[in-house]
Amino acid sequence: MFKNYFLVAVRTLRRNLGYTMLNVIGLALGITCSLLLFLVIRHELSYDTFHSKADRIYRINVDKITANGPEDNAGTPFPMLATIKASLPELSPATHLYNAEGGTFTIVSNNDRVPAKKFREEKNVLFVEPAFFDLFDFPTNGVNAKQALKDVNTVLLTQTIADRFFPGENPVGKVLRMDNVVNLKVTGVIPDAPENTDLPYVMLIDYESSKKINTFMNDTWNSTNSNQQVYFAMAPEASVKQAEDRLNQITSKYRRISPGEQERYTFQPITQVHFDERYGNFTGRTISKTTLWALGLIGMFLVLVASINFVNLATAQALRRAKEVGMRKVLGASKPQLMTQFLCETGLITLVALLLSVVFAELLLPFLNQLLELQISFSILRDAQMLLFLLVVLVAVTFFAGFYPALVISGFQPISALKSKVATARVAGLSLRRTLVVVQFTICQVLIICTIIVHNQMEYFRSASLGFDQEAIVNIPVPAGKAGDLMALRSQLESHSAVKATSFAIAPPSANIDMNSSFQYDDFSVNRNFSVNLKLADENYLKTFGIPLLAGRMYEKSDTMQEFVVNETFLEKVGVKDPQEAVGKKLLVNGGQTEGKIVGVVKDYHLSSLRNEIPPVVMSTMTQVYFYLNAKIEQKNAKAALAHLQNVWQTAYPDDVFYYEFFDDSLARFYEEEQRQAHLFKVFSFIAIVIGCLGLYGLVSFMVAQRTKEVGVRKVLGASSASIVGLFSADFVKLVLIAFVIAGPISYYFMDKWLQDFTYRIDIGYWVFLAAGALTLFIALTTVSVQALRAAFSNPVRALKTE
Amino acid sequence: MLKTVNLQKKYTTDEVETTALVNVNLNVRQGEFVAIMGPSGCGKSTLLNIIGLLDNPTSGEFFFLEKEISKFSERQRANLRKEHLGFVFQSFNLIDELTVYENVELPLIYLKVSNAERKQRVEQVLEQMQIAHRRNHFPQQLSGGQQQRVAIARAVVSKPKLLLADEPTGNLDSAHGQEVMQLLSSLNEQGTTIVMVTHSPTDADYAHRIVNLFDGQIISENVKELAIL
Repeated sequence: MFKNYFLVAVRTLRRNLGYTMLNVIGLALGITCSLLLFLVIRHELSYDTFHSKADRIYRINVDKITANGPEDNAGTPFPMLATIKASLPELSPATHLYNAEGGTFTIVSNNDRVPAKKFREEKNVLFVEPAFFDLFDFPTNGVNAKQALKDVNTVLLTQTIADRFFPGENPVGKVLRMDNVVNLKVTGVIPDAPENTDLPYVMLIDYESSKKINTFMNDTWNSTNSNQQVYFAMAPEASVKQAEDRLNQITSKYRRISPGEQERYTFQPITQVHFDERYGNFTGRTISKTTLWALGLIGMFLVLVASINFVNLATAQALRRAKEVGMRKVLGASKPQLMTQFLCETGLITLVALLLSVVFAELLLPFLNQLLELQISFSILRDAQMLLFLLVVLVAVTFFAGFYPALVISGFQPISALKSKVATARVAGLSLRRTLVVVQFTICQVLIICTIIVHNQMEYFRSASLGFDQEAIVNIPVPAGKAGDLMALRSQLESHSAVKATSFAIAPPSANIDMNSSFQYDDFSVNRNFSVNLKLADENYLKTFGIPLLAGRMYEKSDTMQEFVVNETFLEKVGVKDPQEAVGKKLLVNGGQTEGKIVGVVKDYHLSSLRNEIPPVVMSTMTQVYFYLNAKIEQKNAKAALAHLQNVWQTAYPDDVFYYEFFDDSLARFYEEEQRQAHLFKVFSFIAIVIGCLGLYGLVSFMVAQRTKEVGVRKVLGASSASIVGLFSADFVKLVLIAFVIAGPISYYFMDKWLQDFTYRIDIGYWVFLAAGALTLFIALTTVSVQALRAAFSNPVRALKTE
Repeated sequence: MLKTVNLQKKYTTDEVETTALVNVNLNVRQGEFVAIMGPSGCGKSTLLNIIGLLDNPTSGEFFFLEKEISKFSERQRANLRKEHLGFVFQSFNLIDELTVYENVELPLIYLKVSNAERKQRVEQVLEQMQIAHRRNHFPQQLSGGQQQRVAIARAVVSKPKLLLADEPTGNLDSAHGQEVMQLLSSLNEQGTTIVMVTHSPTDADYAHRIVNLFDGQIISENVKELAIL
């Protein structure tokens, strides 16, 4: 029986090759996308799930509410770990770790005549305790990692770093000097960190050594650093809530909280770290569950759109099968038997599409990885989840796409079927097909509208004035605490004609470095319940970044805090209207340690991404904490300028590695995640439209075929080609309009929500909707016209002979 | 074999009610060859469809193999069809995607006949219809006469008690038409009951009895008292 079904299916599909191709390609496109999205979603959901204690490992976060709004982060004060060990035994093992982000590594050689090799690592240099390995299950390839990092001044290199630092050598026993401060002995080589962890590392260094690197580290309760975090495993039966409460009771005794502020330490399951952007993680990348849901939904929609094509094409084509169905019924085939037959046929098409999409996915995955900066791979045969996913898709698509056509076709009355008297309208399930086309158009339009809005918001990010210059500015890190060495060479730095201005500062205007401080303004008697953002920079800062002054002047050159410049928001917060009024007022910052005068007011500029509001800022000088040399250079002589800067820099720091980044590149990184989403939206909405067009094309070609005679008669009676095209188009215009009415509010709702995440955002103009509607209409009409024109230009005599 | 009592068939649309059959009383005995004749639209095909269990009468009784079946469900009728009935149509109605062999095999598949027996029975009937040499051809590769022979082979491969033919020679030239009629005639001689609708008096001559239908009513029956058997 099934052999017979199979034979008929294969021969029918081969006979109607065009129809088969439309279906297979449409379905394959849809399934490919859903497959790729499945891989992405699965990858994102897999972060840190591979630890054997994953279900009970937590990170300590702090939820802080200040007058400037919530300031949540994952940094913990240094004494936190000792407190946990002493008072909360159920939190065990517990460990803290420190992410130095980057560092300079010199290979210490015994031979003085050989120049030392130096390397710069930009990120993921992690300091861990031996307990790290009790808590987490990172691959060690047989190395006893716990033992290897037992002693101070030891380091475990990952394979990649070992190969780079010591090509062709065994690094074990060799010595690395980090940041010209601490010598580290290589005690082993471990595999690279897995892709799916939020604790990425290029090397693991014993925690004790971090104290020499992290110059800001102090052992008080009132200093936190978001790179200093605590992880622990919760005893299986212990209550998270109770432990949290007890921890907060203890910390409240030690923590000094500014008036009006609140804070609470909370435990975050490690499996949630990847999804919560409030606290961030060491990868610098989080993805919200909402985004994952949206991606999953898009994947489903794409399959849905392709399945709809199938339903439409199959029902439209049903007439061609009428005779066969009639005859089978005459021969005694039951309705369930016929349904099975047609479902098998759909299954066959779906299977072919599925196999094709596995090939497509394999081919497209590298591009997707590049787009998303991930390293996802799959090998279908060894991947049970994947096979299950494909099986589910096969069954779901077969039923969804095949059920209705099978029902319609198997329901033919044998006599009418044999006499080809099955009414076109009835077979075609015209209203159902219309509904399905509306669904397709709706999905396409929603995707188009979302794409336009996301794209516009990205453009806004790119073009919005941040309040400072960002072009042709390079940020060059200087070794911690040693900015003075290079500042001494300032005249040399600026001697090159292509170097326009230089400024040393803690950071460029927008960067993820914040120093907050409580403060007192003017008469010192009013207690303010908000802190200010201390921006420490030299006197050239405003000039270099082109930030305008509103009143007063820039502060004078100094190595320590003497004079202050504040921003507009600061004035607003302290209730001063006229900038002039603030000039000359006294200010106390830095925990009451530093007093000085406000000498100027700057126009507000953005301190971080446009997601956040501009905080009150107090600017001053402090050479000790300048981490960056910022240089404004001539764009067209950038190469020469950089070579000159490197030259001078290297004179000041002969033992360090020079590197730099263009400011606009680092700003663009703020919106990496949004950029990726924008790319995804663009790609997938494009594919949805392609699939939709395939279906529409097929549908119209059947309509045209069915109405050949009508077109012939109309032409004989004098109808113009335009009116024939109009005949076929009118129906679809109506459907596009209905879809437009549905798609508009849906996409408005979701995009409005999405935009709420950004403090600075575009308005959703009505033109976005009109453009999307017009675009869909244009695409639909073009698709329809191609087929309709063919009918319109055909010879009416031939058309009439087809009966 | 089959008997109809006051059989009526009406087609009703929103506005018009058309009566296709009026009080038809027909009795066909085992082994008979009956031809139904009449002008276009007189209800011949409707009657044949009801007899063939492809359609239900509006009222009246219909006995098939001693059972009253006018109220049978679609599934029950499908079962009776595949076990006891064979059909031959004017337009052959072979399935284009199946070869000659596969077309003839199809009824046996629905009857769940075993593979070996299927092969043997199909081969046998193809020989009998002198079409075995074309077993691997598709219908479009055959002449009209050959196609009708395949259709007859398909109709009789399940050894039906009753063979229904709806203008079996309508699409054939006279030589091929005669061939087909001789085939039907010899099947009848071997014991198959046949009811045939036809326009052609020549074809009707092969039958034992001719039933004349006009405006949905039987107006006369001519019984040929031939001592064929």
